[in-house]
This record gives sequence, C-alpha cells and structure tokens, in this order.
Amino acid sequence: MSKLLETLIGGLSQGGVYALIALGYTMVYGIAKMLNFAHGDIIMVGGYTIMVFFYQTGMPIVALLAAIVVCIAVGLLTERLAYRPLRGASPLAVLITAIGVSSLLQSLTQLIFGTASSMVIVNTFGTIKIGSLVVEVSTLITLFSAAAVMLALTLFVNKTKTGKAMLAVSEDQGAAKLMGIGVNRVIAITFAVGSALAALAGYFSLLKSPSVSITMGSLPGIKAFTAAVIGGIGSIPGAMLGGILLGVIETACNAAGLANWTLAIEFAVLIVILLVRPTGLLGKKRREKV
Amino acid sequence: MTATATQPETAKKTSWFSYVKSSFKPKNYVSYAVLALLIAFFLIFGKSFKQTNVLMLEKISYSVIAALSLSLVVGFLGELSLGQAGFMCLGAYLGGYFQTYVYGAFSQSLPLLSLLLTMLLGGFFAALAGLIIGLPALRLKGDYLAIVTLAFGEIVKVVFRNLKTFGAEKGMETVRYSSSSLYIIGFFAVLFTLAVIRNFIKSKHGRAVTAIRDNEIAARAMGVNVTYYKLVVFVLSAFFAGVAGVLFSNANYTIKSISFDYNYSIDILVMVVLGGMGSLNGTMLSAALITFLNAKLSTVLTGDLAALQKLVYALVLVLIVIYNNAPKLKTFREKYNLRRLREKLSAALHRLIFKKHPAEDPAAEKPDAADWSNIPTKVPMDAILSTDFTPDAVTDEDKPDKPERNEPHENAEAKQ
Amino acid sequence: MNKKSFFRSATLVLAGAAAASCFASCSKKEKAPEFSADTINIGASGPLTGGASIYGTAVYNGATMAILEINEAGGLNGTKLAFEMYDDQHKTENVANGYAAMKDKGMQVSLGCVTSAPCLEYIKNAEKDGLFFLTPSASADKVATYENAFQMCFADSNQGAAAAKLYNANDKAEFGERNIGVLYKSDDDYSTGIYETFMSGFSAEEQAAIKKASFTSDDGDSPDFSTHISALKGCDFIFMPIYYTPASQFIQKAKTTAAFSDSTIYFGCDGFDGIQSMKGFNVEDYPQEISYLSHFNSNATEGAAGEFVKKYKEKYGAETLNQFGASAYDSVYALYDAMKTASEAGKKIDGSTSVSDMTAALKGVFSSARFSFNGVTGQNVQWNADGTVIKNAIRYKVNHNV
Repeated sequence: MSKLLETLIGGLSQGGVYALIALGYTMVYGIAKMLNFAHGDIIMVGGYTIMVFFYQTGMPIVALLAAIVVCIAVGLLTERLAYRPLRGASPLAVLITAIGVSSLLQSLTQLIFGTASSMVIVNTFGTIKIGSLVVEVSTLITLFSAAAVMLALTLFVNKTKTGKAMLAVSEDQGAAKLMGIGVNRVIAITFAVGSALAALAGYFSLLKSPSVSITMGSLPGIKAFTAAVIGGIGSIPGAMLGGILLGVIETACNAAGLANWTLAIEFAVLIVILLVRPTGLLGKKRREKV
Repeated sequence: MTATATQPETAKKTSWFSYVKSSFKPKNYVSYAVLALLIAFFLIFGKSFKQTNVLMLEKISYSVIAALSLSLVVGFLGELSLGQAGFMCLGAYLGGYFQTYVYGAFSQSLPLLSLLLTMLLGGFFAALAGLIIGLPALRLKGDYLAIVTLAFGEIVKVVFRNLKTFGAEKGMETVRYSSSSLYIIGFFAVLFTLAVIRNFIKSKHGRAVTAIRDNEIAARAMGVNVTYYKLVVFVLSAFFAGVAGVLFSNANYTIKSISFDYNYSIDILVMVVLGGMGSLNGTMLSAALITFLNAKLSTVLTGDLAALQKLVYALVLVLIVIYNNAPKLKTFREKYNLRRLREKLSAALHRLIFKKHPAEDPAAEKPDAADWSNIPTKVPMDAILSTDFTPDAVTDEDKPDKPERNEPHENAEAKQ
Repeated sequence: MNKKSFFRSATLVLAGAAAASCFASCSKKEKAPEFSADTINIGASGPLTGGASIYGTAVYNGATMAILEINEAGGLNGTKLAFEMYDDQHKTENVANGYAAMKDKGMQVSLGCVTSAPCLEYIKNAEKDGLFFLTPSASADKVATYENAFQMCFADSNQGAAAAKLYNANDKAEFGERNIGVLYKSDDDYSTGIYETFMSGFSAEEQAAIKKASFTSDDGDSPDFSTHISALKGCDFIFMPIYYTPASQFIQKAKTTAAFSDSTIYFGCDGFDGIQSMKGFNVEDYPQEISYLSHFNSNATEGAAGEFVKKYKEKYGAETLNQFGASAYDSVYALYDAMKTASEAGKKIDGSTSVSDMTAALKGVFSSARFSFNGVTGQNVQWNADGTVIKNAIRYKVNHNV
C-alpha cells in the first residue's frame, strides 16, 4: 500500500514538471496557433542560466529569477526574429522554423558551455514522514507550484484585460485586430509567459534530477506536448491533467518493472484517449466551417 | 477500367491520342529525364566514383524516397504526419529480417532479386501498418493526427528495441548490399516511386485527394469518399516509406531502432516543406540537397568545429523558411526568385534565337494559372480551432456526415 | 515588421552566429595537422555533438594532445602524425560516411569509434579495407572479434566478470556480506553487457537475491530515479555499470531521500570515471563510498597518470577529463610505439605506407608477446592475439580517502 502511494506521489511530482511545460505549450498553441518545438530547449536555457547564477551567487532564488528573465528574453527574441516574420504564413512553415530554433539553441549552448553535463544542486528540501510514508518535500513543492501556476494562469486569462485579449486572439485573430487588440503584442506576451513557465519547469526538473545537459529539454518537451494533447491542447486545466496523468503512468510503469516499455505505453495511452475523445480529455470540440 | 475496354477500338485510340497531345507538357517529364540521365551517368562512370560519393548517393536515394512518400501525405492530402520514420523502421527491420534470416541463402546467391523482393515485402509490411494505424487515426485532424503518428513511430521504435528476435538494444545485423551498385538500384527505386506517385496524383484519384486538401467539407459534399482516399494515400505513403527503410537497412551493416526516432521523421518533414508543399520535383531536390549538406557539414566541420554543424544547418533552415514564407517579403520574393530568373533567361534565349520578344509570339504557351499543383497547401491545422463553444452542439456534431459514408460514390463498380 | 527592420534583425542573427563561430574557432586550442600525403594519417569517429558528445570530445582532446606532443618531439623518424575525427553523433548510420571521407583523404590507421554501437558498423567498413584500429573506448565484446581491431579499454565482459570476482573473492573480507543491488541502463549495450557478465559471476540463488533496477534513454537526460531507489531499498552494495552523469543523479537523489545507509558502497566501472571532476558534484558530500574499477583515475596526482591529468586540465579544463581522454592519449602513443617498433624492425612506415602494409606491421607488433606499452592507463600493457587488452583493473576509491 505504501509502495503504491509512494509511486503515486513520485508520479505526481514528475507530472507536475510535465504539467508546467505543457502549460507553456498549450498557451502558445492556443494563441499563436503554432507547435513550438523549441519550447523544450527554453527549459534547457533556463537550466543553464540557473547553473551560472547559482554558481556565481549561491542563492537559488536569484538564479531562478535570472532564469525567468533570460528565458523570457530568449523567448521574445526568437518570437521576434523567427516567428513574427512568419505571421500569416502556413503553420507548417512556422513548425519548421521552430525546429530550426531548437537546433540553434542547442548548438549555441554547446558552443558556450561545452559538452559536459554539470550537477546543479539548487535546493535540497529533504523529506518528511507521514505515517510510514516518506515523501520528498520538493515533490510537494513542485505539485503545489504547478497547481498554483495553473490557477494563476486561469485567473490571468479570464480576469485581466490582457488575458481577455489573449482569448480574443485565440478565437479569431482577424476580428481581434479589428477590435483594436494589438495581436503582435498579445502573442509576445504569450511567449513571455510560456518562457517564464519553461524557466520554472527548468528549476523544478533540477529539483527532481539535479543536472543540466544540452539535450535535457528535448524529451520532456515531447512528453509535455503529449500531455498537452491528452488533456486537450489549448486547455489550461487540460494541460495540468494531462501532465499529471502522464507522470503517474510513467512512474507506475517504471515501478512495475516495465521501464523498457514505458514510452510505448505512454504513447499507446495517448492514442487510445484520442480515439475515444478526438480532442483530448478536456479539449473543446469545434465545429468546422466551410 | 473495365468499362473503357468495351468501347469501340477506334474511338478509344483517337481520344487517347488527342488526350496525350493536349496534355503533353515537357515540364512534367523533366524530372524523369534528369533521373534517367543520372542513372545512365552512374552506370557508365560509377566505377570511378569515390567511396564517399557513393555512400552519399545511397543516402540521397532513400532520403528522396522517404521525402516523396511523406510529400504525398503532407503536400497533397494536407495532413501532418510525424511518423514516417516509424514506417521506415518497420520496412527496415521486417524487410531486413526476411532478407537476412529467412531467405538469407537466396540473398547470397541472387542479391538483386532478393533486394527487390525485400523492397516489396518491406513496403507491404509498412503499408499494412499504415492501414492499421490509419483506419482509426485518420478520423483525427491537424495536430492531433500529427501527435498520433509521432506516437506510432515511437511505439514502433520501442517495440523493435525490446524484441530479442530483432537483436533488442544491440540492433539487428542485416545484409549489406554491395555499395558499388546499391545507389543505382536506389535511383531506379526513386524513378519508380516518382512515376507511381505522379501518376496517382495526376489521376482522378489524385484530384479527389487534392480536393480533400483544399476543402474537406466541400469535397465530401461533392461526393468524394474522404475516408477511403485518406486511407489510400496513407497506405501508399507508408508503402514507399517501407521501401526507403529497406534501402536504409541495405546501406548499413547493423540497424538500430533508435535511428528511426521522431527526430528522423522531422528531418523528412523538413525536406518536404523546404521543397515546397505539393511539388514533387522540389521535394526531391530539397531532400537531395539537405542530405548532401548534412553529410558535407559532418566531414568539413570536424573536431572542435563539430558543434557548428547544427548551428549552420539551423540558420540555413530558419532563413530559408522565412525567406520563402514571410508575408512581408512577398514583393521581394517575387522580384528575386529562381522562377523569374529562369523566365528571364529563357526570354533572353528566345530573343537571341528568334530575334523577337516572347510576349509577341502568339504561339507561346502561357503558364496555366489554374494549374492545381500551384495552389498553395492549406494544412487544416487551424480548422479545428475555428470555433463553436456551445456544449450542446457536441453530441450531434458528426451526425450530418455519417450516413454519407455508406453511400455509393463515383467508383468504377458503381457504374457497372 | 517592415522589410528594413527584418533585414536588420537578420543581419543581427548572422552577426551573432559569426561571433559564435569565431568564439568557437578563435578561442580554441591548437589543432592536430590535417591529413596529407607526407604525414601518417590517423582517423577516428565519435560523437562530437548530441547527448554522447562528452565522450567524443574527451577522445578528441586526448588524442590531439598526444599527436601534438609526438610531433613536437619530431614525429616518427621525422614524419609527422596527422589526426582527424569526424562526428558520428553516436549513430550507426553516420559512421560509413565519415569513414569513407577519411579513407578517401588517405587514412592509414585509425582509433576506430569512440562508442560501442557505431564501432560495430565501423568494423564492417574497416574490414573491407583491412584497416587496423586501436579503439580507446569501444568496449563491446564484439569489437575484438574483428581481426584487425585492438582495444585500449577493457572489454565489457571482462569488466563485469572482474567486478563480480572482486566482490566475491578478493575483497569479500573487506566488503563483508552485503545486499547487492544493480542499476543499469537497459537500452545501452555497454551497460547491459557488463550487467550480464556481472550477474553470471554469481550462483543462481545469489542472482535471485540481487535486486535489479533499470532505466532507458526514454527517461531523457534527467531520469527520475525515485522508483529505482525504492526498488533497491535495503541494498548496501550498489553496482552501477553506467556512465557517471546518471550515476551522480542517482547518488544525489538517494542522498536527498536518505535511502541508503552510510556504509553503502556505490560501485561502478570505467564509465564512472569523471564523476570526481564533474562540476557541482562534490564527492566528499556523500557519506557512502563511491568507487569504481578502471584503468585510469582522473584524481591521480603522481606518476604518468598524474602528469597527464595536469597537462589535460591546463589545456582543456577539468570538465571533460575522464578515462576516455586518457585512453585516447594512450592509444595514440601505443600506435606510435608500435610503428616505431615496426620501423626499427626494418619496415618502412611513413606517409606513403599503404593500409595493408600498415595493418600487417602493426598487427604483428601488437600481438607479439614482446611488445609492451607503458602509458597513463597502465604499465606493461599487452594485447591478446584477438585484440583484447591485458592490463590491471584497479579499484579506485573516489571519496573519503583520507
């Protein structure tokens, strides 16, 4: 029983990280209508920034803030240079550019930091005991932070003026423009928010597994994309749900000794879910118009 | 097909002849001619090629086939697929398994025949998988289909990595076809693939497929059996991906399933998109160039400079895509591009030979403005996002479409 | 964005890239000479980009260092050595291209491949030309089955067997009876190869008692080890035939959850080497003993190894310092020694020697019982006729040495 609970909690922590990344994916997708394949590499940028500032100052909070700032800057820069010129072009062109940006970020990082991976032990929160159960504090922090971020994001989108402008842009870019909404500005803000979330995800993935490497963001990126689709891409609670579901499945498979098959099982679950609900668990079904 | 045979012989002959005469455009045959010339060139001078170039040509041949096969789905059907490497993996592993372990002796004695058989077999297995995954998955649209195909590719990778029969994590040793002639066979396969795909696209089936791409609902309303055609395209595409996989396995001594991960699918997609969606010649050219560029970069930028490979590749990629697609650069593009350069050159040539401006020549053939292959592709990615929020609508949404699926269509059987 | 500002930004990107490339090429150190007709051309293939690039980079640095030293000392009877290494990204399908390019450029002898799986593909290519290679680090058992392949590192099966033997016989008194756990990477042939031979060093009952946990590359660069730690709970001898990056993550995770007792031993193989120089990972922070069985210790301060460590750190920094670099350094010197021996025996070895002559000469030297090599990864190193290396594997304790 306690093993089951432990697995569940491990899955929740892994899922929390996925959820944070998936939130970024979903935001950008919902508003800019693009699959940002470079999102995972923003996490890597965040990880390396945390490393640099943590080594310099020794203060995790400073490192985290610096990572958020740097990630936002990188996110905005790529948006401005690579994605904005393509606004209005075919979504596939944007997808390919995102792939290019992803390789660009990886190779630039390799040029600057070299190939060796480094250990970055930012915080060690230790464990707490609940009955016979030993839980890592960082797990709880990740989980609650992800939930808080999701709540804040929902509030931001639904209550603030900028958030409503985001909704409007995601509904209909042309109409939003006609209503006087600066579409470019709104999309830039979306990228900033998404990148900040990626920086956070970088921090939490360092809590979970404290080392940085050039490809650290690739696989979590793809898995978070999967999570976003499971939950219904474009839906904020859906990203959270999908992320956590994926995390729990992953941990459960590993615990059951199916480590070799984990990825296949995760993707099989995705396929099954999409076949039953073609727009994901919480995705909105939309009617096609001619 | 059978219906035409019953028509009077003469009537058929004249109509066929006039059809050929009216529809013959040299432009459509340039690629065949170029490929045939290339093959002839290889056959004559291939003996003196350097090993590097031979290997590069091998790589180019299977990359081109893979890109052509994906172009069918992305460029002509307008659906995004990220699982092409998965089909290649199936072709490479299953084909390679048969070629090496089932009829290995036959592969030893009659390598060419065995390779051809294996290509068919690998293609068949991949097509079968395409059918199995396509049946349910093609209900999905846009990015949802993309992620399902990506998932499929990754599942295939994991399965082959875990099965002991196929060497598990150590990879599978397969027959390596003699490198002095594999690339020639590869280019024959390219020629074959191109012929099949081009003829398919130019047929009425192809027109149905492009109709689905340009507007699925309208196509359905016109009586096109959407599900059927989507499936046909998917299966055909999987078949050629499988063939490419067999060539891949024959170009290597050992294959590992990790080679066929989603990054490889993305590489193939890049070739298709850079080549111009819905342009077979462009796809072939870009597949060849990208393969060449990557191979060259890895041998030119060595040692400490290796990290620059990806940088150069990524920069080239981003700049080309922006140059080709940025709406803001439209006027600039129209001023300076290859097509315009070609037109200018041919006009100059024309003036030189005929001493008059081509525009004054009433016999000059004007480019067909309504040529369907010039219509830019719309991948209906955002179709699913064009909105309707009322939850009540969800339940009866698919209803209007459903009865239509059982209705007869413009199939040949229906006519008889 | 108007056209002007677009071009301005495009220029900016290009300028940035140019600056980056300059950064890469200007700041970097001396390169070994490129292949030419009057040098002895040594080729290699390895991952210089991608996830495994640390190993390729280490080999590149180590080999370059050796080549530069040899050339400075006059080369082989006046003939300089040239070295080039092509990037294979740790993928089998990239090997042939690089191999053929080098072959066309006049490669005469090679260091083979850095990693095992691509090396098996390399063998097939080398077999056609009868090229001789001495690989610093491709440790798969199958590598040595190729008649012209020699290894500088231990073969996987030897490592696993040696580890099991070390546990069972030599050091049982020191280790005592312990609960063994194994953590391995199940889609990596290096790891599974050692794991299997390690297990076969135990009886059936003992094997059943050993707790096992595995992860794969599907877990990404930062696997979540919490399930593995709970699977290995109660073990106090944890054998980890994996590379040091995941090992360090595991050890750190185990520390935060206080999973293992302080008397636990984390025991690795040569892939562990480099753990002590990893940035941000201070081995002394961990109460458990971390040790590994290898031919090289990057903590060395004395002897040939110590000297190598000092030189390497000066030139390339500590981050890429591990046994791969040392082994590559030794491989180049071993090739050099063998060539020297062959030329002293009357064979003509210079830039014009053909591949087959080179192979015949080197193979003769390497498999002869009289040839022994002293380097930074071992003294009196000799080779079996099949190409596997004979030298001592030493257990290095990384922490709490004082």
